[in-house]
Amino acid sequence: MIRSTKRWLLPALLLTGCATAPGPAPAPVEPAPASPPAQAPAPQASAPQENVAIAGLMESARADAAAGRLPNAAASLERALRIEPRNPRLWQELARVRLQQGDYSQAEGLALRSNAWGGADNPLRAENWRLIAQARQARGDADGARKAQDLADQLSR
Amino acid sequence: MARRARILKYFGYALLFGTLALGIFAAYLDVRVRNEFEGRRFALPARIYARPLELHAGLRLSQAAVEDELRGLGYKSFSGGAEPGWFTASGGTLQIAMRPFVFWDGAQPARTIAVSFDSGGVAAVKDSAGQDIPLVRLEPRAIGGIYPSGNEDRVLVRLTEVPPHLVQELIAVEDHNFYFHFGFDPRALARAALSLLSGHVQGGSTITQQLVKNFFLTPERTIRRKFTELIMAVLLEAHYSKDEILETYLNEIYLGQDRDRAIHGVGLAAEFYFGKEVRNLTVAESALLVALVRGPAYYDPRRHPARALERRNLVLREARERGYLTLEQYALARSTGLGVSQRPGMGTSPYPAFLQLVHRQLRRDYDENDLRSEGLRIFTTLDPRVQAAAEAALAKRLAQFDREKRFDKQPGLEGAVVVTDPQSGEVQALVGGRDPRYRGYNRAIDAARPVGSLLKPAIYLTALSDPERYTLVTPIDDGPFTWKSRGAPDWQPQNYDRQFHGMVPLRTALAQSYNAATARLGTQIGLDNVLASVKKLGVERDLRPFASTLLGATEMTPLEVAQMYQTIASGGFRSPLRAIREVTTQAGQPLQRYGLKVEQAFPPEPIVLITAALQGVVREGTAQGLKSFLPPEIGAAGKTGTTDEQRDAWFAGFTGDHLAVVWVGYDDNRPAKLLGASSALPVWGDLMAALSPEPLALATPETVERVWIDPQTNLRADSQCAGAVELPFIKGSAPQQSAPCASATGAVVDAVGNGVQNAKSWLERLFGK
Repeated sequence: MIRSTKRWLLPALLLTGCATAPGPAPAPVEPAPASPPAQAPAPQASAPQENVAIAGLMESARADAAAGRLPNAAASLERALRIEPRNPRLWQELARVRLQQGDYSQAEGLALRSNAWGGADNPLRAENWRLIAQARQARGDADGARKAQDLADQLSR
Repeated sequence: MARRARILKYFGYALLFGTLALGIFAAYLDVRVRNEFEGRRFALPARIYARPLELHAGLRLSQAAVEDELRGLGYKSFSGGAEPGWFTASGGTLQIAMRPFVFWDGAQPARTIAVSFDSGGVAAVKDSAGQDIPLVRLEPRAIGGIYPSGNEDRVLVRLTEVPPHLVQELIAVEDHNFYFHFGFDPRALARAALSLLSGHVQGGSTITQQLVKNFFLTPERTIRRKFTELIMAVLLEAHYSKDEILETYLNEIYLGQDRDRAIHGVGLAAEFYFGKEVRNLTVAESALLVALVRGPAYYDPRRHPARALERRNLVLREARERGYLTLEQYALARSTGLGVSQRPGMGTSPYPAFLQLVHRQLRRDYDENDLRSEGLRIFTTLDPRVQAAAEAALAKRLAQFDREKRFDKQPGLEGAVVVTDPQSGEVQALVGGRDPRYRGYNRAIDAARPVGSLLKPAIYLTALSDPERYTLVTPIDDGPFTWKSRGAPDWQPQNYDRQFHGMVPLRTALAQSYNAATARLGTQIGLDNVLASVKKLGVERDLRPFASTLLGATEMTPLEVAQMYQTIASGGFRSPLRAIREVTTQAGQPLQRYGLKVEQAFPPEPIVLITAALQGVVREGTAQGLKSFLPPEIGAAGKTGTTDEQRDAWFAGFTGDHLAVVWVGYDDNRPAKLLGASSALPVWGDLMAALSPEPLALATPETVERVWIDPQTNLRADSQCAGAVELPFIKGSAPQQSAPCASATGAVVDAVGNGVQNAKSWLERLFGK
């Protein structure tokens, strides 16, 4: 459980970071048959194969988001969600893309959805509440934003 | 002299007038032929695709299912073809030569992959070099189009995509002077004139003339028509290049009939006869298409293979004699069979009901004219595997009911099925009636029928949203109940078994679908609150604010019911049901994405409780019959529905990865002696069993705890209690007292005098907080 969480965390952090410092764009998962599928950041060891597909799509989403191709980023994440609908990282990434797209109500809905599958993963839930706070702030709901931020702070403690 | 001059003058006038008239006629024809030509070139129906199958290690899909998918795409089962579009199976591994495809987010080239399977499904996906591929999309199946009124379909091709041998064969047989004439061929025309004397107008048409002929709606063989066609052919040549004319011809020519769908153009014909793109046609295959120009019905290769073969070989011989084919090409092509795919005709679509839904959703955003002419590519959510399972389940059961004459002497029992992905709200399958190919009344989206008990979960969900008052074990009175309302007759709901059951736990009232208990509960929590919940669940229809609405005297379509249960199945998040993912232009330029949308309609806690209650319906309630379809560990949740005099039978329910709603009844609303549990439920059970669904997994928030309950006393149980059930409770709402069967060690809390609520019944007092 912890290991898989870490694996999700990496691309998630990369995706977060790319708003400020876009890294080198990796090859997209699929349309390039020649390139080896080694871009997946997941450890090859005993990692379940299924996660490689998800990791690849997360990579694509990260590259697309960095390049401003937000609809493509969202599409990759939705593809991933069709494979793993209970993966809270994917819901969170989609929330982040929607936030970037200025679709604030969707950003909030998706972050809540991420929370629903988040279980006891407090850092993840804290990040979702931060996203919600940003979405509410952007919508002009300062009060709601403060409440969400409070929840985020509680969970970060 | 004067007389002669006068005659000359009149003759001059006549000549002038004649020329003028001819000029006007020519000008009229000119406008007409250009309009037709331009119109034909660009009228292109929207093309609709199923979802692409995404292959990856860990996918729970059998080898047989993947092979079905490939066959549905027209892939052939053999090895080593020079062009993609085939697969071979050996030792648990499928080798697939994938065709290229332009997806909405980019082109995917042709490639060969190896997919290996184990008992769980796909074990690995590798490329031709043996490297793992994380994820690969098969091309999506084309499932129809949106056609102009004539039901003419098109796959527009550019001349550059057409293999040269096809063009050469065509010219060799139909018009070998094509590149040199001005629209008509005088020698051929002379021959035609001669044949006219013998009474038949035939032959002698250039490609240009044949194209012009296609512009007329009626086939007419008169000298006047022939003359008009000739002038238009010349005009066409004056306006457009030979290549433009040839390209339009290749896209326009009538090459066959598929039920109600006319096959026009080599692009569609290549797909229809060979299941491949025109660019991949061999010398022999393209010769067959050219052979069909003379009479697609007469030379139909599926019905009259001998005739077709003879005519095809004639085409090859002509092409050889004109020097277009080498001797080797000719010999090889002659020795090959017709190679026509055996895919049965599907008409304009094999899935007319689903297409109606797609069309309806598209019309919100697109002009009808654009849909029929712009060649838009529509990528939908239809899953052919799920659709096939839904069609088979409904057909099998309706046939069985008819055979048994269980319900009525008269046949005509109808049904509808909607299947969705509970997490995303994507519509995976839609069956609109017992004949799934029927292009008419679509019961899944148009038949609003009384929903009966299907509405009950909304009542219980509303109650469970108030943990101070209601838990899954709160006693509800199922005694005789009368609802008095001014201006309306008294309403006394009856139970199905015509008995009253006294005090029953809330979960049992739902599991057994007790009407008196439900009506009482509904009026306790307030009709307005219930109706507000129904609205929050995603039902947009206005429900009448009558008490009888509580017991389902309200009409909804199967699709609306699916929307309502979707919100429960996805943990309280409402996602509008979607049939479309993306829309692109004909060239693949993305126009629109219909993304996943979620909105939290209910907090997770009551949703966990109502889902557990719906699982109880299947485990021990009115849907127990599902035990013979699904193993208990699937934990399916659902609800039966039956209406007055059993006119309608419903079942709505979900597993981890599929939500399905089934309706069975008569169109004319006649009493059918149907019971939700005996007619709609087996359809649902067959369908789900065929899909080998994932177990239902609930996201349980920290605010919910699971407590073992003794069903005899509805108090806390432990390992000593036989038949104890584990139920979710919102923290703080579970009974605190232990049942007599449990080793009561300090768990007993004095329940009296807690003062949290006004006890209304002896049971409530017993374990009130």
